[in-house]
Amino acid sequence: MIAVDIIISGLLLGGLYAMVALGLTLQYGVARIMNLAFGEFVVAAAFGAWWLYTANAISPLAGLIVIVPLAFLANWLIYHLLLMPLVRRAKSREVLEGDSILFTFGLLFVMQGVMLSLFGGQLYSYSYLLVPLDVLGTTVSANRLIAFAFAIVIGLGLYLALTRTRAGTAMRAVAVDPRSARLVGIDVTRMSALAFALGGALCAAAGVLISMFLTFSASGGVLFTMKALIVVILGGVGSLLGTLVAGLLLGLAEIATARLIDPGLTLAVNFAIFLGILLVRPTGLFGRSSS
Amino acid sequence: MSAARLWQAPVLLLLVAALAVVPLVANGYYLALGVGMLSYIVLATAWALFSGPTRYISLATAAFFGIGAYTMAVLSEAMPVAAVIVVAAVIGVAVALVVGLATLRLRGIFFVIFTFGLAELIRQIVTWYEVKITRTVGRYIFLDIGQEQIYWQLLALAVLVFVVGWLIGRSRLGLALRVIGDDETVARHVAIDTTRAKLVLFAISAAFMSVTGAVMAPRWTYIDPAIAFNPMISFQVVIMALLGGAGKLYGPLLGAVPLVLLFEVINANFPNHFAIVLGVVFIVIVYFLPGGVAGLYDRWRSGTLALPAAAARSHAAPGSAMLQLVRLRKAFGGLVAVNDLDLGVEAGEILGLIGPNGSGKTTALNLISGALKPDSGEILYKGRPIAGLAANRIARLGIARTFQIVRVLEHLSCTENIVAGLAFRPRPAWGDDARRRAEDLLNRVGLAGRGDVPAGDLNYIDQKRLELARALALEPELLLLDEWLAGLNPSELAIGIDLVQSLRDEGLTIIMVEHVMDAIRSLCDRCVVMNTGIKIADGPPSSVLSEPEVVAAYLGGADA
Amino acid sequence: MKKVFSTLAAAAAAALLLGGGATAQDKIKIGYAVSKTGPNAPGAGITTIPNYQLWIHDINEAGGIKLGETVVPIEVIEYDDQSNTEELVRAVERLVNQDEVDILLTPWGTGMNLAVGPTFNKYGYPQMAATAATDRAYEMGERWPNSFWMLGTSTMGAKSLAEVLTKLHDAGKINEKVAMVSVADAFGIELAAAARPVLDEAGFELVMDESYPITTQDFSQLISSAKDSGADTFVAFSYPPDTFGLTGAAIAGEYNPAAFYTAVGTAFPIYKDQLFHDNVDGVLGIGGVNTDDPKFQDYRKRHVAVTGQEPDRWASPVTYASLEVLQQAIERVGKIDREAIIKEIQTGTFDTVIGEVKLDRNVNTNVWWAGQWQNGDFHGLAPAGMEGAKEPVAPKPAWKPAG
Repeated sequence: MIAVDIIISGLLLGGLYAMVALGLTLQYGVARIMNLAFGEFVVAAAFGAWWLYTANAISPLAGLIVIVPLAFLANWLIYHLLLMPLVRRAKSREVLEGDSILFTFGLLFVMQGVMLSLFGGQLYSYSYLLVPLDVLGTTVSANRLIAFAFAIVIGLGLYLALTRTRAGTAMRAVAVDPRSARLVGIDVTRMSALAFALGGALCAAAGVLISMFLTFSASGGVLFTMKALIVVILGGVGSLLGTLVAGLLLGLAEIATARLIDPGLTLAVNFAIFLGILLVRPTGLFGRSSS
Repeated sequence: MSAARLWQAPVLLLLVAALAVVPLVANGYYLALGVGMLSYIVLATAWALFSGPTRYISLATAAFFGIGAYTMAVLSEAMPVAAVIVVAAVIGVAVALVVGLATLRLRGIFFVIFTFGLAELIRQIVTWYEVKITRTVGRYIFLDIGQEQIYWQLLALAVLVFVVGWLIGRSRLGLALRVIGDDETVARHVAIDTTRAKLVLFAISAAFMSVTGAVMAPRWTYIDPAIAFNPMISFQVVIMALLGGAGKLYGPLLGAVPLVLLFEVINANFPNHFAIVLGVVFIVIVYFLPGGVAGLYDRWRSGTLALPAAAARSHAAPGSAMLQLVRLRKAFGGLVAVNDLDLGVEAGEILGLIGPNGSGKTTALNLISGALKPDSGEILYKGRPIAGLAANRIARLGIARTFQIVRVLEHLSCTENIVAGLAFRPRPAWGDDARRRAEDLLNRVGLAGRGDVPAGDLNYIDQKRLELARALALEPELLLLDEWLAGLNPSELAIGIDLVQSLRDEGLTIIMVEHVMDAIRSLCDRCVVMNTGIKIADGPPSSVLSEPEVVAAYLGGADA
Repeated sequence: MKKVFSTLAAAAAAALLLGGGATAQDKIKIGYAVSKTGPNAPGAGITTIPNYQLWIHDINEAGGIKLGETVVPIEVIEYDDQSNTEELVRAVERLVNQDEVDILLTPWGTGMNLAVGPTFNKYGYPQMAATAATDRAYEMGERWPNSFWMLGTSTMGAKSLAEVLTKLHDAGKINEKVAMVSVADAFGIELAAAARPVLDEAGFELVMDESYPITTQDFSQLISSAKDSGADTFVAFSYPPDTFGLTGAAIAGEYNPAAFYTAVGTAFPIYKDQLFHDNVDGVLGIGGVNTDDPKFQDYRKRHVAVTGQEPDRWASPVTYASLEVLQQAIERVGKIDREAIIKEIQTGTFDTVIGEVKLDRNVNTNVWWAGQWQNGDFHGLAPAGMEGAKEPVAPKPAWKPAG
């Protein structure tokens, strides 16, 4: 009984982690932008959902239809207007990575500052579908379950898009080796912009879904960035499957620790797992070893 | 050599003295600003001691800083402050050694996030320990230590970190780290024990960070894990060092000072828009100051110290077995690159290793030189098993190599590239002696007068020459050349062949992987042909190259 | 060389940007540094900053602070400490030395107030710590006689909770078993540490006693464990995001103990208005107000009018009251004589929005430490000696699923 409870709750939490990290996988894995402002985008989307729900009575699920395309557009513009000069200037991937870290560090502050002046420093939260549901004898909250279902659908859709479409294949090629991708006629820049925008859209979707059950504030984005980074790195850069597995693993570990060992150790165990796996597999669970 | 810099010593002394009297004249605010600035100068400089040359971006600063701060919080009532500072340094070093041993094989973003995770893990464990065992989170430090003392302690620490940094820069350790930063594989192949070098630096850097934490802690009265292990410290230190330029000792200083001032000015003027203004300033910096502040200055090079000259090594007697491969095997996934290879090389001979692309030649060289570990089989070097040894240990035994795709240390000068080969061999050469020997080697490979040119500026052929010179600097007995003659034009090829011939005449044993058949025919005593990981022919070049199986392998290679 | 230059540049820049102050007492300079960004920003944004705004607004309405016969206008200088203790220390040094403020207001939070304790003390400024809850409040008051601990001690929090639970137990509403969780941060651990002996003394048995890390995002397992523990009473010494998360998890997990207590955040208006609506009735929490007091009602109205948000029902009125104490002490002294002002705060009696305040060895004991949502508002229950204390109600009605 406890086992079922742990597995179900663990999957729900892990799905949440994976969902948050999927966007970053694309942005970092394909576009090579280590986006430190990632969490701020999550929070911005959460604010969007909050505003739609409390001021306009639009449900967060309907809000996805508005917010996700907006986020796609915004991220596409950010890539083209702000990141492009850095991409053009970068002599190597490493240089771009370094520049993008510094740039998004600045962007993080700008976004945080804008949200602070719009919403102040307070905590925001609303309750939506806070209804107990019975799943295999375990009671879970409906909003978390719906978020999980959406995450599955979105993740699956993304997986299909990346493996079954031409653009997706091109994107994966860019992730693996941009030089060779260019040789076979792939427009690497366009694909990178697309991946960055798509990653931004996913991150917005995560923000909307999370806002249904988590408390957020203008200054709370860093937390999401860090969680996402850990999941992406643990899974192996650029690997969707890795991100998914890593997210679920961390979620399950956290829940099992809380229930079976000591709730005070949940984060310690998470970090220990992360560090332990990196020691055994230095490029993450599904990462390719660099030559 | 340091005469040009002699005037600097009194100026620096005066400067330190001037900074030391600041607390006597400045008010509390400027003193507070000074404390903030000095603490970041120490942290960023200590960070760059390790991360600058190795290019490992560490986010563990907060972990070591927090360890120091927490040590002070726990022990401040039990022992004198000076003793606590020593304990803090010792704990910092101990943690750095344990962590370093485990993590320094990670690279790039994996190392970055790992160190971040490490800081968080330590924070979580400290919190858990305090909650469960001591039942308090948050400790009080009531020490009668004023801002002035903290300022002076930090100033002393800053002086110390610069002195240590300067000494390291002049030492072999400093060169070792720069080689690692440029190309870790090359570092191992010039006999650098990369793990030890990184570990030592990581520990030194951690000691400074821990001491900074211990010195700063009394200032806040109250320490809890969230305050001590604040991850923002790690990020700010990285940003400061990168902005200033982590490659130079004074770089982080150039980042820390303006950034602390910038934060201050922004906060003083835009308290409600601190975040936005800071962010915009940051973005502007990225756009317009890509190389950091220090990038605006010329490269700074360290002087060198003289060390006793090294004696030449005795060569094995001609005709005895130099190298023996026994059923050597290496597979990558399902692909068996080297399949139970048996091969003997005698002292003084030139062995040509040929075969179509993908036949396992380079893998074989990688196994011999320690770049790869064999799955099974044995490698005997002068009768001694060396299979699976680290590349740097194999290099020290007297096996040197060049790479198929040339690997010079692009950011180091030609001379430094060769000194890297001289400095870590069993009888190292250093200082003027090393420079002289480097000069000789450059002459020998035809790069006379190019010693001060950064290796990255050489053309491809010259880079190959430089690589050979670096390999020779190790005074090897066995030289592995991986397509070293490829890409040379006919006249260069003739010079190259003469050069290899002269090496053999000096008694070197050489294994050369080569596609240039003229070179094989004119240089090699013996020739081994490989195909799909298996040796298919072995004998004098003229007879081997006409064997039907060899011809078939080459012709069939096109569709393999 | 570069360093000297930079230091000079720093001095020049700072002097240029910060400017000098007038010397005549034609205005009173008030300065504060508070966490506008960083992890402390939500706490400061709910409790500290709005009350500073309100107070400044009120003074400006009145034309200033009365010094003797004249009303002296105020000038306010504010900084952001970015939730960083070192930034905070520096900002306070700047306020004192560069801006030469007459009065300092305090930062938000226990750790932050302790961090600037030595600085306030060194320069002799009164420190009205309104958002710091530490068991060493009395010790601090002794060490730094200029510091005033307006929120009392955490033991008072634990005792008040025990008082409420004892009442409910005596009335036969709850059994003697208590499930307790606490956030692994100074606040949660101090309260939990204080609660253990107090609850034990009151005859309660802790059947669950766990801590969880700050920033925990899933509370389903804590709630499940509590559910299995057989306790009628659930106590969480939690921070606002956890308070919301725990309550949500309890609703989703259909966990309905007779007494459900969460700490910081329970008394926030958002707890009812945006999150749990008609589910809040019966929830116990830290803090409380005497809602029937017209002074509080008036304060609440002005708070909403000026800042656009409701005050929280715990530290908000205390923060405002600490400013009133400060202002009244200044006006009684009649000039900016900080030593005299400190003496007056130590010994005087003040009329504030939380009623009469008379400090006991630099610590304010006039604080609600346990309250309950009843009929849509958060009322103070304990200490029972407080004016307007309500009787606790149990069992809490079962959660209703919320759309």
